[in-house]
Amino acid sequence: MLLALTLFPALCATAGTLDANALIARLAKPAPATVAFREVRFSSLVNEPLIVAGELGYSGPTSLDRRVTEPYRETVAIRGESVRVEREGEPPRSFGLNRAPELRGLLSSFTALLAGDPGALERSFSVAANGTDDAWTLELKPSDARARRRLQQIVVTGRADVPQCFTMLTANGGASVLLLGPTADRELPKPTTLDALKHLCSVE
Amino acid sequence: MKRTPAALALLTLWIAALALLGWFVQRQLVVGADLRLFLPNPVTAEQRLLLEEIGEGPVSRVLVVALEGADAPALADVSRALVDSLKQSPSFRIVTNGEVSLDAVPDELLPYRFLLSPALDTQQLDENYLHSELQARARDLASPAGAFLEEWLPRDPTLELLKLLQRWQPMQEPHREFDVWFDRSGQRALLLAITQAPAFDPDRQRVAIDELDHALKQVAGDRHVTMTVSGAGKFSVLMEARTRGQAQAFGTAATVGMILLLLIAYRSLGSIVLSSLPLASAAVAGMAAVSAIFGTVHGITLAFGFTLIGVAQDYPMHLLSHRRPDHEPVAIARSLWPTLATGVASTCIAYLTFMFSGVTGLAQLACFTVASLAVAGITTRFGLPVLMGRAGRDFGDSRFLDRLWDRIEALPRMRWTALALAVIAIGVVMLAPQTFWENDLSRLTPVPRDLLLTDQQLRSELGTADARYLLVVGAPDSQRALRTLETLEPSLRALVKSGAIGGYDDAARYVPSAETQLRRQQRLPDPAALREALQRAQAGTPFRTGIFEPFVHDVEQARALPPLTVEKLRASPLGASIDMLLTQRSGGVTALVTLSAVNDVAAVQAFARKTGDNVRLLDIKDASEQLVAAQRTRILWTLAAAAVLLVGVIAIALRSRSRVFRVLAPMALTTVLVLAVLRASGVSLNLFHLIALILAAGLGLDYALFFEHASADRAEQRRTLHAVLVCSLSTLMVFALLGLSDVPVLRAIGVTVTLGVIFNFVFALLLTRPPPSSTPSPAALVPHQGSMCLLERVIEWDDRHVVLQTASHRSPDNPLRMNGRLRALHLCEYGAQAMAVHGGLRGTVTGVRPKPGMLVSLRAVQFGREYVEEVPGDLRVEAECLQADAGSLQYRFRITHGEEVLAEGRAAVVLSANE
Repeated sequence: MLLALTLFPALCATAGTLDANALIARLAKPAPATVAFREVRFSSLVNEPLIVAGELGYSGPTSLDRRVTEPYRETVAIRGESVRVEREGEPPRSFGLNRAPELRGLLSSFTALLAGDPGALERSFSVAANGTDDAWTLELKPSDARARRRLQQIVVTGRADVPQCFTMLTANGGASVLLLGPTADRELPKPTTLDALKHLCSVE
Repeated sequence: MKRTPAALALLTLWIAALALLGWFVQRQLVVGADLRLFLPNPVTAEQRLLLEEIGEGPVSRVLVVALEGADAPALADVSRALVDSLKQSPSFRIVTNGEVSLDAVPDELLPYRFLLSPALDTQQLDENYLHSELQARARDLASPAGAFLEEWLPRDPTLELLKLLQRWQPMQEPHREFDVWFDRSGQRALLLAITQAPAFDPDRQRVAIDELDHALKQVAGDRHVTMTVSGAGKFSVLMEARTRGQAQAFGTAATVGMILLLLIAYRSLGSIVLSSLPLASAAVAGMAAVSAIFGTVHGITLAFGFTLIGVAQDYPMHLLSHRRPDHEPVAIARSLWPTLATGVASTCIAYLTFMFSGVTGLAQLACFTVASLAVAGITTRFGLPVLMGRAGRDFGDSRFLDRLWDRIEALPRMRWTALALAVIAIGVVMLAPQTFWENDLSRLTPVPRDLLLTDQQLRSELGTADARYLLVVGAPDSQRALRTLETLEPSLRALVKSGAIGGYDDAARYVPSAETQLRRQQRLPDPAALREALQRAQAGTPFRTGIFEPFVHDVEQARALPPLTVEKLRASPLGASIDMLLTQRSGGVTALVTLSAVNDVAAVQAFARKTGDNVRLLDIKDASEQLVAAQRTRILWTLAAAAVLLVGVIAIALRSRSRVFRVLAPMALTTVLVLAVLRASGVSLNLFHLIALILAAGLGLDYALFFEHASADRAEQRRTLHAVLVCSLSTLMVFALLGLSDVPVLRAIGVTVTLGVIFNFVFALLLTRPPPSSTPSPAALVPHQGSMCLLERVIEWDDRHVVLQTASHRSPDNPLRMNGRLRALHLCEYGAQAMAVHGGLRGTVTGVRPKPGMLVSLRAVQFGREYVEEVPGDLRVEAECLQADAGSLQYRFRITHGEEVLAEGRAAVVLSANE
């Protein structure tokens, strides 16, 4: 096991340097696209992480739908600068995207990746790519200083052409992990900690 | 211009005095543009409230800002950036685009949220309520909204603050895109800016609007965003600029025209300089008087005041036109003074009555007019003649004027025509279909219609307070006012529900009465009970125990707080709204309920009637029109008093009934005719028409007085004609220009005075002529006929004395001429004919035909010069009977030209015995 681990990086090194732009371009999915997700939200206010599941609908660079189906029904629609939250049994609410930089971060990174547009990504983030084409990590740090005060970084991990996890780390110590696609259906480690999820995201 | 040291000294002194006074005045004078100055002064409390609402109420300080020219997200961005950059602006109390921000509420007010929020009226902070709230919060945390709620949750798990902030949004929620206000089509981002300065302070409003422009340029960057600012403040800036601009333009044009006119009429640059001195004095005196008595002057008063130059110009013009080569200007001024003084006095009296009209703007106008006209008259009488040299020519002596006068003389007397015209005019005035008086104050504004429409449209999109209807609640103090407002709340909500109004706003929505706050305070659980409830509520939610300690702490604090007062709120961002809705007045507090989108006035009126005595529905438009109408009656009465005074002054000055009638008739007829023309063209009269009518009447009086004064002296008549022509042309020029303005006030004044001048000129000429001379012409009285009749007309005569006037010495056909020259010697013949005329005149009285006589001796004859054919102008021939008996007459005769005696002597005539 240990041997395999020490060999691993060497294997990576020989697999070839990672071309971030090419990678991003390969991630493109035609719009409209729907991706199943499961989100694990860590907060200092709660004992255990909050877990919801549903699907993400992508229909353009400034529009994203987040439809939660478990354990309750809720739809968040982001259109441009406006966010609208509708939950069953409650009146709809809306607020501006500037109120939630984390959300803006999610929106811009997610849509840029789904569009396969490295330029769009670079407009909002400084991109650092690690790993190989088969198992890659993109570290995105917001370029806007104000946004950085709330959202520290987004780590996108994936295998080949499929992004698996979006991990958003907020400046106040909170974190939110978005498991995408097939990863969303996988069973979550117990206890569900951030490290355990990191592990889940980087190991098939 | 005289070049004597005395004259030059006076000139220098005069100019220096003007310069000094002018500089002083210009420093002191504050020009305002508050149209309320032309509304009546408020007397009752309700009128005071009304005028304050118009000028400073909630509606008047609101500026609506619309941004367009880019796509919606960009506009929303710019909107937000604009609000940010104007946060600390001293010109605005608040600029809002609908964004609800949690940090808008200052920290010290946060614990009060439990007392302010109505949620606790129906809910208890018990286990069930807390549990459902916490569950919702858990879901919020998991959703994207959780990002910004997370910090806030421990302190406010029930989101009271958010509820409060949403409650403080306008009830008639405007359309939103990207979380900021947009119009329904989504093309324009909308903002509300509430200025510090009241609407009728155009200078500070301009500063505020400039700040908006500047801020926009900064935040828009290279995006082409255009901004439209609309509101009472913007309109007053516009109006002030327009009025000022036009007044300046017209003033310049009028000055240029005046100079040209003077040059044509008097052909000397000196005359321009001379006539400008009384004018400058008049202008400075007027401004100084207004500044000293009132402190400020309204732009309209200034504009009108400067057009008075067209009137004050008359006085030096009369002096200039009446100059004669043979008379000292001082003497001429002295002889003109009674007429001039009567004219000045009567105009001043008419305007003086405006000082008591109860309208500040009119009082300013009166003060300006009286001061400037009086100074113009006095300086013309006492200052100008000292500076003037003798004229080089007699201005009345021109062929053009001669022919003109002859043609006018030939026109029939207008007695019956005038009467008929008057009757027709009165008929037209009575029967014209439109309302007599213009009550709609909005017609006085020069703001273009399309701007007003845009403003209305934007306001309805934003649901801003209605500009016309307000509910006024009076109470002895703030708390009772708030309690009354709270009792009104259910009915108001019902009105909104039924659609009678779109929404309402009052102080109680921001700060409840102390009673209500105490009631809510008592429903708050004590810390122990709250902690217990929380613990039980947290079961089934993922929240950690103990994280809601800040919440418990806040509730505990809220239980001990003294009720929040209105005063405390005034310093907060809410203060802007509170200040406008709840004001302290002497004798109590006035709370306003502003309504938006009033669709059913009757329902609101019924509601106001039901609620009791201290709640009134104020219809601003109606109330202001009534105010104006009531005051107008007062003004009309003062005008009637002025008219009586005027007739009195004229009667005292002229002393003869027929003369008084001849002077007043043109003025009266003109006034009626001008009214008829205005009414026939569909104009409803307003205050400014009245002012202009008075001015025109004053002018007419001047013309009539001067024509009357000229009486039968032909030369005087021609000079008066010259003077009145120049005067009326100059006045016409100024006011005709004003009549072209698109500012309703200026146009009203301009058109009315133009008409008045034209009619007054015509009627003064036609109606003021004295009845045809009952004095026969000399040709009828002497045996000499044709060119041998040397004397042209009788000026005056009595039993012993006759004065005649003639210019026949200049005529080349004079039979006494020899080789084209006329010796002074032959003036004896003039004397002899004068004596014959005298005999004939006496004969017309006694009825006995005079006996023919023969000149038998000439004695003590002296001549002033040798030849007289070159003597300019008329000769004055006097004959005085020294002795008369049945057979002979002895006369002394004298032929003069100005002050020069050309010939004098004594003559004896023997009457023949035959018939």
